Amino acid sequence: MKLRILLADDHEIVRRGLCALLQKHEGWEICGEASDGREAVEMAKRLKPDVVIVDIGMPSLNGLDATRQLMQHDAHFKVIVLTITDSDQVIREALDAGARGFVLKSDAARDLVSAVEALQSKRMFFTPRVNDLVLAGFLDKGHTISRNEPPSLPTLTVREREITQLLAEGKSSKEVATLLNLSTKTVETHRSNIMRKLSLHSIRDLVVYAIKNNIIQIQMPVQIPAAAEPTVA
Amino acid sequence: MAVRILLVDDHPIVRQGLRTLLQGRGDWEVVGEASDGVEAVEKVDHLRPDVVVLDVTMPRMNGLEACRLIQQKRKDSGPEVLFVTQHDSPQMMREALDAGARGYVVKSNAARDLLEAVESVSQHKVFTALARTPQSSS
Repeated sequence: MKLRILLADDHEIVRRGLCALLQKHEGWEICGEASDGREAVEMAKRLKPDVVIVDIGMPSLNGLDATRQLMQHDAHFKVIVLTITDSDQVIREALDAGARGFVLKSDAARDLVSAVEALQSKRMFFTPRVNDLVLAGFLDKGHTISRNEPPSLPTLTVREREITQLLAEGKSSKEVATLLNLSTKTVETHRSNIMRKLSLHSIRDLVVYAIKNNIIQIQMPVQIPAAAEPTVA
Repeated sequence: MAVRILLVDDHPIVRQGLRTLLQGRGDWEVVGEASDGVEAVEKVDHLRPDVVVLDVTMPRMNGLEACRLIQQKRKDSGPEVLFVTQHDSPQMMREALDAGARGYVVKSNAARDLLEAVESVSQHKVFTALARTPQSSS
């Protein structure tokens, strides 16, 4: 019986690359592709894949919150998160969300097959940096990685995080309500609770909070060099 | 017309995705790959591609600088440069065209725009496409 894999990334070009990589492996099949976290959660519930691979930076619902929702629905889901950074905070959030694999996007061509194989064998797969941090956490040498620690967003519920992302992406309460099948009044109540819990006073504060806490990602400006003389002959 | 293509992106998985998309055209050939601007400039010399598909944000040398070098080194017979980037911004597109690129496609829409863009720039036509509106002109 084939191992069924669900892919979630907002860039089709990345999904094509991932598909090409994973389909080379005998006995594996891509059972579905999602272009955001919300679609990934819906598809995972319906298709019940053996492994779910989610990008962290996706619109509408990011990969970490999609992982949280999946684990809340069924703790047996096996999720690998793809990330562009392995900062301490992202690692901690991925572990806290329940991910069993953690692969840097830049290393996906090298590591992703190993990660899926690890999950297939009921093991976990992390980058060397994650392993170092987890080990350091156990050894209590100043690092603070631990599943028992409070997550960086201790006061927000899964629903509140979801609404935080949508508001930070610029959606109105009415648009959020439509998307989540809630009443506008309910969304506005959530919105008030979020602002109160986080001691925020404006949508601008909320956007800053969402960026700082990896709920949404922004493009970093590239450093544009001045038109210079060529350095290569 | 056979088109020789060099793929430049620091993420191998993106290069694989680009390669998969380009396989739709049997008469085009991916002649090589590079993972940063320095390598791209070197491989342009060796491989003589017709089109360089170039990312903007890369280590060592970014795509804009690489594009300038490619254009300055081989003004008359050089390859056309097509940017495929995550930067969905008119300012960045202007920078790319000023650096000598013939095309600009946003990564999130590459699956929609890439083949048409390569076709256009290989015929020395400008192809630019931000998130919503592709435009091709000679």
